[in-house]
Amino acid sequence: MSFRQKSKCADGEYNGDENRNRGPSKWSNCRKRGADGSMRSNGDVDSTSTSDLKKSNPTHKHPDNRPVSFTTPESGGPVSRCTDWGSEVETDEMRTSVRRDMQRYRRRILTADFGPRERTNSSGSSDSRDSPVPGEGMEDDEEVLMRRQKQINYGKNTLAYDRYIQEVPKHLRQPAHPKTPNKFKKYSRRSWDQQIKLWKVKIHAWDPPAQQGSELQAIEEVDLDDIMDIELDFPELDSDASAQPVKVTKAPSSQLDTCHGTPSKMIKMEASVDLDMV
Amino acid sequence: MPTSKMDNPNEDYKIQSFDLETQKLLKTALKEPSAVDLEKVSNVIVDQSLKDPVFSKEAGRICYTIVQAEAKHNGNVFRRNLLNRLQLEFKAREETRLRSRQEWVCFVTFICNIFDYLKVNSMPMVALVHPVFDCLFRLAQPDSLNNEEEVDCLVLQLHRIGDQLEKMNSQRMDELFYLLRDGFLLQEGLSSMARLLLLEILEFRAGAWTLSDTAQKYYYSEVND
Repeated sequence: MSFRQKSKCADGEYNGDENRNRGPSKWSNCRKRGADGSMRSNGDVDSTSTSDLKKSNPTHKHPDNRPVSFTTPESGGPVSRCTDWGSEVETDEMRTSVRRDMQRYRRRILTADFGPRERTNSSGSSDSRDSPVPGEGMEDDEEVLMRRQKQINYGKNTLAYDRYIQEVPKHLRQPAHPKTPNKFKKYSRRSWDQQIKLWKVKIHAWDPPAQQGSELQAIEEVDLDDIMDIELDFPELDSDASAQPVKVTKAPSSQLDTCHGTPSKMIKMEASVDLDMV
Repeated sequence: MPTSKMDNPNEDYKIQSFDLETQKLLKTALKEPSAVDLEKVSNVIVDQSLKDPVFSKEAGRICYTIVQAEAKHNGNVFRRNLLNRLQLEFKAREETRLRSRQEWVCFVTFICNIFDYLKVNSMPMVALVHPVFDCLFRLAQPDSLNNEEEVDCLVLQLHRIGDQLEKMNSQRMDELFYLLRDGFLLQEGLSSMARLLLLEILEFRAGAWTLSDTAQKYYYSEVND
């Protein structure tokens, strides 16, 4: 299983740089992989010219003459740089959960293909349009799925989400209610990240009352026309949950009115982002 | 010495050894984890496990319950703190052993108990496999084999989690048992009790982590002639 990027300690942080091709840096000759994730041979443009090295040979030495064994061995999946047990176990748990979810999802797709469409009540990504878009298949890259699952977990590990699921059982949900994005569908990175953002903003409507007051104040003070990117901090009651800043790009001010419910402007804007999101 | 997981219907977490205020803290943690300082709770539990041999054998239970309670709301602060604290203690294990054999033995008992109880999606925690083996290997060293307290701890853990450990890494289990055979056969000055314990565990594993009826009678029957 390949992993494209060695994940960092603060794994939850949004790293928008991942897919940007910066071109060779001065360190790129030390990297085992190119920017696109593929293994590098010595014939790469990025590597230093050491003409006596063999090409594409598993026993070749790296440009700086390190033996192959010196590099990080391929592991079973994305590995956190931090080797603290807490993180290791969390990652392990996420990986096994993602694999298990994948099996379930595959089964569900198969039964959806062959049987009449059913509305499932199971927890997990229950999308009534579960059958994959023809020609696209489902997302099965474990690294991607784990990253997405982590983002989903951040959203779910909030008081607001707790209150939301208690208040609105699944069978009573309307299209305008927050709906967890389906991690198994193929989306571009930007599309997915945007869905997550919007989903989390929607969830904030269920913040405990004390928060909503301060939240409104923050919105009124900010003049959106002048600012490209603003971060609104929605402080959480429980100290352990990470206070996820919500990044809001320059957008119609109606986007921030979610606390009052979901005005029609908001729904229209979502629809233009991604038809599948609802 | 024979062990079995205690499924006490009264959910006795053996917290009587704590002072009353701490008992209250723990009881709250069991029901409403978000209402307490979970880092403090994990430290309290680990500290006591290192001091109290009885608690160290069953502390996994209370940890399990707190983890489950927190997981209901997608939290895992307690588990994270517990594991990282455990990791610190693991790193310092050699010093601990020099300072106090009892504390060392309590630590091993506790980490094995955590391995037993805290599963991840019904599987043992992979992150703990090597550390647990490291501890058992240490217990199989000559200086530890000469100490009955440590031999007793070693065989206790193997009884409780040996089969699970073997499934996770059979090669290391094989290597551990090479050491145990060597110890049994070659180590001078081994007490008869230690030899008995080692022989029993050798037979136990050879029987796929269970004793035959005759062996059971031999080792555990109270009637000796």
